[in-house]
Amino acid sequence: MKNRPIYPFTALVGQDTMKLALMLNVVNPGLSGVLIRGEKGTAKSTAVRALADILPEIPMFRDDPYQLDPNEEYEVYTEIRQTVQAESASAATPEVVMRKVRVVELPVGATEDRVVGTLDLEHALKKGEKRVEPGILAQAHRNILYVDEVNLLDDHVVDVLLDSAAMGVNTIEREGVSFSHPARFTLVGTMNPEEGELRPQLLDRFGLCVTIEGIRTTEERVAIMERRAAFDLDPERFAAHWQAESDALADRLLIARSLYPEVQIERPLLFEIARTCLEVGVDGHRGDIIMLKTAKTLAALDGRTQVESGDIRTASELVLPHRVRRQPLMEIADSVQNLRKRAMAGQ
Amino acid sequence: MERTVYPLAAVVGQAQLQQGLLLAAINPAVGGILLRGEKGTAKSTMVRALAALLPEIEVVRGCPYSCSMEPGSDRCPDCAQHFPTLDTRVRKTRLIELPLNATEDRVAGGIDFPRSLKSGRVVFAPGLLAAAHRGLLYVDEVNLLDDHIVDLILDAAASGENRIEREGISFRHPARFILVGTMNPEEGELRPQLLDRFGLCLEIAGSHDPEERVTLMERREAFDHNPAAFLTQHQQQSDQLAHRIARGRALLPGVRVAAHLRSFIGELCRENNVAGHRADLVMEQAARALAALEGKLEVSVDHIRVVAPMVLIHRRRDAQPPPPPPPPEEQQDEQQDETPPEENQEERNEQPQEDPSEQEAQPPPPQEQQTSPDDQPDPGEQQEQEGQQPDAGREEAVFEIGTTFKVKAISGAKDRVVRRGSGRRSRSRIAQKKGRYVKSALRPSDDLALDATLRAAAPFQRQRAGDDGLAVHLREQDLRSKIREKRIGNLLLFVVDASGSMGARGRMTASKGAVMSLLLDAYQKRDRVAMITFRKNEAAVNLPPTTSVDLAGKLLAEMPVGGRTPLSAGLVKCHEQVRNYLIKNPTAQPIVLFITDGKCNVTLANGKPVEESLYLAGALARDKRIRSIVVDTEEAGLVTFGLARRLAGAMEAQYFKIDDLKAQALVDIVRGNHT
Repeated sequence: MKNRPIYPFTALVGQDTMKLALMLNVVNPGLSGVLIRGEKGTAKSTAVRALADILPEIPMFRDDPYQLDPNEEYEVYTEIRQTVQAESASAATPEVVMRKVRVVELPVGATEDRVVGTLDLEHALKKGEKRVEPGILAQAHRNILYVDEVNLLDDHVVDVLLDSAAMGVNTIEREGVSFSHPARFTLVGTMNPEEGELRPQLLDRFGLCVTIEGIRTTEERVAIMERRAAFDLDPERFAAHWQAESDALADRLLIARSLYPEVQIERPLLFEIARTCLEVGVDGHRGDIIMLKTAKTLAALDGRTQVESGDIRTASELVLPHRVRRQPLMEIADSVQNLRKRAMAGQ
Repeated sequence: MERTVYPLAAVVGQAQLQQGLLLAAINPAVGGILLRGEKGTAKSTMVRALAALLPEIEVVRGCPYSCSMEPGSDRCPDCAQHFPTLDTRVRKTRLIELPLNATEDRVAGGIDFPRSLKSGRVVFAPGLLAAAHRGLLYVDEVNLLDDHIVDLILDAAASGENRIEREGISFRHPARFILVGTMNPEEGELRPQLLDRFGLCLEIAGSHDPEERVTLMERREAFDHNPAAFLTQHQQQSDQLAHRIARGRALLPGVRVAAHLRSFIGELCRENNVAGHRADLVMEQAARALAALEGKLEVSVDHIRVVAPMVLIHRRRDAQPPPPPPPPEEQQDEQQDETPPEENQEERNEQPQEDPSEQEAQPPPPQEQQTSPDDQPDPGEQQEQEGQQPDAGREEAVFEIGTTFKVKAISGAKDRVVRRGSGRRSRSRIAQKKGRYVKSALRPSDDLALDATLRAAAPFQRQRAGDDGLAVHLREQDLRSKIREKRIGNLLLFVVDASGSMGARGRMTASKGAVMSLLLDAYQKRDRVAMITFRKNEAAVNLPPTTSVDLAGKLLAEMPVGGRTPLSAGLVKCHEQVRNYLIKNPTAQPIVLFITDGKCNVTLANGKPVEESLYLAGALARDKRIRSIVVDTEEAGLVTFGLARRLAGAMEAQYFKIDDLKAQALVDIVRGNHT
């Protein structure tokens, strides 16, 4: 099957906050995901797919259902082969191939056994051996896990998802199978708040949260229609047209990735983060930690190695809105800065 | 799989939590530890970090149950047979994690499929309870665990052994473990039996000191940047902690508790009105562990003082419940009423009364009154505790909604009818192939439990061998199907009286508070909600059935009040809604909540309003699928009409005053007082 080109990320009109949040997560997967809240038809899934498309390829073992990293997870690989696929554990070093980062979708109707993995029916009947059939969490390792309508997922599936997202490991203790494998993924969830809110516990696990709306200006709406029409007419030509910009963005992301470990932050700025979190009133410390990481990633994305005060302000808008301590039925805080002002005025 | 874990010694703050974990690690007799706290407070991190510090124990080599060589200890059948000619080895105490998706066969153990297949006899595969023997069993988000699994764990924890009588296996092995649980109370509370099973309970909150928060961020960054270097940096402290645990364990058998301190412990427990004697025993063991941790051989008063809060926090009962805050606008002027004449008359007759709930408060027994100065801190702490939970917030000015409170559990019994849905209120068997697979059964269904089927067939494979190329031969009698369980959220249909009489004397504020509380409860239980209000001459569906409790909350806040009371119209509209919902969801169990004082003055036809409404209520009662609840908003006074009670009678509904809906906090859950 010849792949149809994907709508280029750079050709998306508007939605800058969402694009920024996605880019930040790609540069630093440690930010643990984005939650996109908003209406239908606002290019959410297009953006996720488009971004995955320009990411550099990653190495993996050929035909490895667990998508392990040959450089860092070789021991895990051999361990899994020995425990799970005893008969195929050949001495030969497996072949390493390069492939694109995938967007793995978790459908709303997914059952728990498909998510975590289960007993392989065919293998059990043919060979009389237990073997794990990897689930969606295995597929998602080192990839992007895209959960559409995350607020409509069954509660127990959300629990499992939450567990793996937090630990970076999926542990299966079911159906006679006892097994664990790494599952570190960039979690991208979308939801329409009108259909019910997400549980606070899961909300907190998403590093960043952006609220998007349909674009209101006529010019931009026209631009969207024009570009979409051009893409549908001749996708290849359209992609080629945007190639230069896509390459530039890919480079920028790569540079930011390599720059990130060197980014420094001065102590007074750390206090600024802590104070912001205390003033708006967030539960626990995850907010602080994610905000620090976000600010550093923002600096790296900007080509700097020093975090500035502006980075922290931008980071707070992405990190805090869904963490602000609230009654379950309160609105997600519209603007963190407003909230902060109100908190200051109240004191 | 090896994982790099953040070291316990490097956790910022949380000294009490660290201490609690060390106590549990030193003395298994404290009976487990529960960490309750908001998200993002290093609960899980600390428990996992503890695993790295646990001391070494001597176990029988090759025994899956980690049997001990100590004389007089329980052993598995195999070791018991060969004792004392057993080979041993020394290994670290284990911390076994129980994931939320665990099924019964993996927790308790079941047939070992490949080995049974090869040997042609039943071979037992030990489960997590076996692995946890003489170690720690850790359940993250323990309040979300399936009731089935909880029962298994409770049973083993109580008896110290795991008995398996299923899948043709009859087997028992020792399973003594320290239960460690973490939970976020926002997600719902724990079952009372399980809560009491945890010897110690600690409440955790984030730090409010910027300095500490900054240190925390710095350490976390350092760890993420280079875990190995970070571990090395804190190696010395970690070793020290590990050494203290090992020393504590060695000292523990020699730690003495003086007789007068025993009576001090008894006194403490009595003062706090704890249920049963577990608290006394746990407190003594915890104090001994603390003494051992500090390298002492004698328990002192201070040791007891330190551990007492951990033991009592989830067991303490208040001698007298704190007086409820007076409803706002209680003394509001009567002239503001816009009620019709017939209602005004009755209101004039009413006298300001003290809060009905105060009358209900039981007078404390005499000996508790003597110790009342010591009881004083309890209500305060109670309130503090509630203040930390956003869910239990008391007043919400934005909504202009009365005081909200935790509501009593309202649910039907677990039933055998197969239903569809998603939510947490009522437990039910599930027809769709969704829900948690909890166990298997001999029962025809297209939801095949492959694992159980294979296990059932395994011992017979030698006799059935054929040449059709298959390794496993299944017969019909092997087939097992999955039993899945999940909680079905009910439809909660609120029928709210918004007439003028409700606006009087702050009744609406209190009623809105009650509805809000029920909505918050519905949010936790993932119910669907719908709302109907009736006032002036008609009833209106403000909110068709939806899962968006938020929307219902917003509507409630904006709800206007005033006009006459068309109760009959409300009843008709309610029946219409429920009937439509039942056509779409034939197996649903809607719960109708009437929030009204029962007074009415508008009819649909000619006749007396009250009689008409009672007649219609009777019609509603005929549909047995509908459960109804009437929340009476009429204030207690000299003259009460009791119309809402009559309405409830006609509707065959449960009848509550607003105050009856209130559930007590954590303490009451332990007592099992929630119905």
